[in-house]
Formats: sequence, structure tokens, C-alpha cells
Amino acid sequence: MEATHAIDHDHGHGHPTGLMRWVTTTNHKDIGTLYLWFSFIMLLTGGTLALLIRAELFQPGMQIMRPEFFNSLTTMHGLIMVFGAIMPAFVGFANWQVPMMIGAPDMAFPRMNNWSFWLLPVAASLLVGSFFVPGGASAGGWTMYAPLFLQGGISNDMTIFAVHILGISSIMGAINIVTTILNLRAPGMTLMKMPLFVWTWLITAYLLIAVMPVLAGAVTMLLTDRHFGTSFFNAAGGGDPVMFQHIFWFFGHPEVYIMILPAFGIISQIIPTFARKPLFGYASMVYATSSIAILSFIVWAHHMFTTGLPTAAQLFFMYATMLIAIPTGVKVFNWIATMWKGSMTFETPMLFAIAFVCLFTIGGFSGLVLAITPVDIQLQDTYYVVAHFHYVLVSGALYSIFAGVYFWLPKWTGNMYDEKLGKLHFWMSTIFFNILFFPMHFLGLAGMPRRIPDYALQFADWNMVATIGAFGFGLSQLILLVVVLKCIKGGVKAEGRAWEGADTLEWTHLPSPAPYHTFETPPTVK
Amino acid sequence: MTQEQRGQKASSWQAARAVFWSFFGVRKSSDYDQDAVRLTPGQVIAAGLVGAALFIATLVGIVYVVMH
Repeated sequence: MEATHAIDHDHGHGHPTGLMRWVTTTNHKDIGTLYLWFSFIMLLTGGTLALLIRAELFQPGMQIMRPEFFNSLTTMHGLIMVFGAIMPAFVGFANWQVPMMIGAPDMAFPRMNNWSFWLLPVAASLLVGSFFVPGGASAGGWTMYAPLFLQGGISNDMTIFAVHILGISSIMGAINIVTTILNLRAPGMTLMKMPLFVWTWLITAYLLIAVMPVLAGAVTMLLTDRHFGTSFFNAAGGGDPVMFQHIFWFFGHPEVYIMILPAFGIISQIIPTFARKPLFGYASMVYATSSIAILSFIVWAHHMFTTGLPTAAQLFFMYATMLIAIPTGVKVFNWIATMWKGSMTFETPMLFAIAFVCLFTIGGFSGLVLAITPVDIQLQDTYYVVAHFHYVLVSGALYSIFAGVYFWLPKWTGNMYDEKLGKLHFWMSTIFFNILFFPMHFLGLAGMPRRIPDYALQFADWNMVATIGAFGFGLSQLILLVVVLKCIKGGVKAEGRAWEGADTLEWTHLPSPAPYHTFETPPTVK
Repeated sequence: MTQEQRGQKASSWQAARAVFWSFFGVRKSSDYDQDAVRLTPGQVIAAGLVGAALFIATLVGIVYVVMH
């Protein structure tokens, strides 16, 4: 991509400093930074809860906590990681990268952008604060199933309110992203020239707008069932608890793709850069992303095969789910074909990207196993499911976030990160990740149920292994903190085009670090 | 692509074909470039809705055949 003229990037006018800079900011880069730090803090919070879970499961028998608290831990770990860590991290990337990648000066609605972010700490405080209210934090699982969620104390109301706020934030963020992409592209930046990261976020934003209101509806019905005498999900009043599951998963399955499509986008930027080849099958990647998004709306009941669905519905959702493997397979094929005969180098972003392709594929295949209804009826609520979705969400979504952070850190900070520490972070994470989650396949196949604080003796060995992996993986993330802080503080100066294979606008047209204001005069893309 | 081709709006059949390939996840680059220029967003959305309905109907049909 080329611009026809040079651009004066920084007009040098002042902006608030100190704390007020961050509170009042409408700058997409500041807000991106806020999102990313928020999500990192939530990652460590959710990670600490996970380590408490694994500490309890280190040995059979009850060791260090009451079962009720264990249930709160699994519930809040899920909610915090999904809504607090993974989703905000991708919005952070979108804030930083989308305007720079399409040649826009900022997001379309900068003030709304500020509000989208500052709602998050409020929701997070409600979630984390609920641990300290009478009865402890919500303990009915992150899916908030009725009837469990209709019972319980004030923490459930706090969780419902937090989900409402998070939903509002996501919808506003999504509207902002859609409008930015559709209206603020630089001259010549047609839709078909957009980097794949921008494409995946455009599609993700539409998914968000489509399904977050569904979640809001579901939790509002929970709230009115709890306090206002309705009986949507209360069988005693003529309601249907299974209906909650239908509504929740109509949101929940597209949500899975909300968490993975931007990951596909990041990986599709990184692999071509370090293979020094254009992305193989750009067009098919866009089409595959769209078809995954469409299919995501017609597979929700594969989460509910054991709820007594009629056979016809079981068959329908099994077939539809298995068909998702086709466009996903197209993507994996394209990434491999991009690497094929490329001049590959293996800097940290590329290592995480390659690990993503390998490990996400394992998660995808175990998903196919679970899509087979009779198999799922056996494996439902076992550790096999836990292994499956952690391969998708940790070595999928989270790894792409790591890859993206390493990839764009030079652009954000103006300094190269410490490659040795980056590689150490990668290898420690990857080895411990597999020690942590691979044995969970065995545990699940052997019948160990999830969300249970105690277990039968025959599961002891692999649980011990998994716990060792968990503490290794958790502590390895502190390396990332060191790398990022070191990189912000200083280091080898990064060039404007820090990676020789990078060809999107932020690398070809902007210095490193990217100035506070960029593309106030749009570049012309040829 | 000539200016004349660029100005032509795609037929419904072309929109349907583009959507079919999008469900599969694969598209020839040259066809894709043409789609990009000639398909309107309205056409794609309409074809997508019809395509999704047909897809669901096909799956329901298969389920019916399997069960009877």
C-alpha cells in the first residue's frame, strides 16, 4: 500500500496530563492503552482465581476452602476472563489499530469511546466486590443458569448488573468500530483492501450488536424472576428453566466467535509478516470469517444436548456444528499455505502465532468430537469440555493477544521489546499450558466432572500434574509484565517499519512510536 | 476490469453465487474482485438471508430423511 503524499502527523497541541488525561481522554490510542491494561489486570485477577481452583484440586479431598467458595471461584473465573480479560483486550487492539490501519484520525465517536471504557471498571468492581457481600460471590456457573441463579443472595444481582453494564459497553464499542470502519477509511482504502484484522473486527462488531441485547434480555428476565414476581424461568410459576439455556446460548455461541474472530485477524497480520509472503487466500479468509459468523447463529443447542432436546433437534445442531469445521479448516489451511516456502523468522509474535495455529486446531478438533451428540452426552460436564474450551480460549484467543502485544509493542512504545524475555515467556507459557490442559482430556474421558471441588482417587495423578502446570503457566505471565514495562521504559529504538515484512499503514506511514494524533490528513491508498 | 464492467450491477444469481462460496469459505481472487466492485451491500444481505434460510431448510430436510 502506498500513500501519494507525506502527512504532517502531529500538530503538537496540548492535552490534559496526569490522571485527568486518562479519565477524560477521547484519544483512540489512550483508550486502547486503558483497555489493554484493564484486561491485563483482569487476566491476573481471573488467573488468581484459577490458581485457587487448581490449588484446591491439587489433591483429592477438601484442602483449603469450603465447596461454596470453590463454586464462586469457577463462576467468577469464567465471567472475569470472558468479559473482563479477553473481550476488552480485543477492543483495546481495535482502538489502537483500526484507525491506524485504515488511515483514520480517530474512532468515529471519541466521547462514546471514553464512556465504553470507563463502564468497565464499574462492572469489574461489582464482580470482584461480590466476593465480599453476605453469601459470597455468584456460584451458579458463568452461564448463570436458572434455577440456580434465581436462588442465592445479592451477589447474583451484582453479577446481573455487571453483565448489563458490560453489555452496554460492548454495544457502544461495537457501534463505534462499525462506524469507524465504514465511514472513516482513507481515500482508496476500499473494503477489499482492508487488512484482515479490520475485516474480522467489522464482522465481530456486527455479532456483538446482534447478540449482546439477547444476553441483556436473558439477565433482565432473571432479575424480574428474582425480584418482580415474573416466572420466565421458574417452573413453579409455569416458566421453563431450559428456556434460559436457549436464550443464553443464542448469545453464548456467537460470543465464542466474538472471542475468536479478532484472534484470527491478529494471526492473519502476523503470519504473512514473518513469512514475508502475502496472506494466502485473502478473499477466502474474508468469506470464511463471514460464514463462520453466520453459522454461529444456528448451532447454539450443541451446548444443550443433555437437556432433553428432540432427536430431530439433536441431529440438526450436530450437523450444523460439524459444518463449521469447513470454513475454520479453510483458515487453518490458508495460514499454513502462507507459511509454505516463506522466508520465515521466529520472533516472539510469530512463535505465538504458530503455537496458535497448532493448539487452536487441537481445540477445534476436540470441539468436533463434542459436536457428535452421543459422544457429547457422555462427555457433557466433564474435564474434556474444560480442556476443549481452554485450548480454544487460551491457546487461541489469549495467545493471539500475546502475539499481537509483541507484534505492535514497537509501534506503541517506540522501543523493541526484549526478544530473549519474549521467547522465555513463549516457551514457559506453551510448555506449562500443555502440562496444565492436556491431561484434562484424560481426566474428562475417564469421567471426572467439572465444577466439583473434590474427586475420586483415580483422578489424583493427572490433577496434580495439571496443578503444577497451572502455577507454571500463571507465574509465566509475570514475564509478560516485565517485558511490557521494560519496553515502555526504554530499549533499542524501533524503526517506523519495525518488521520488514509488515505492510499495513501503521508500519509504512507512521513513525514508531505512533504520534498522539495520526492521519489527521488522510493518506491516499493506491 | 473496464469502466463499463465496473458500472454494472451484479445479478441476483451472481449475488447468490458469491454467498454460496462465502458459506464454503473459499473464493477465486478474480471472482472476489468482481464481487467487490459489482455487488451492493443490499444484494449481499438479501442473498445472505435467503442463503441462510436455504441452508437451514437443507439441514432440516436431511434430518427429516434420516429420521424417516
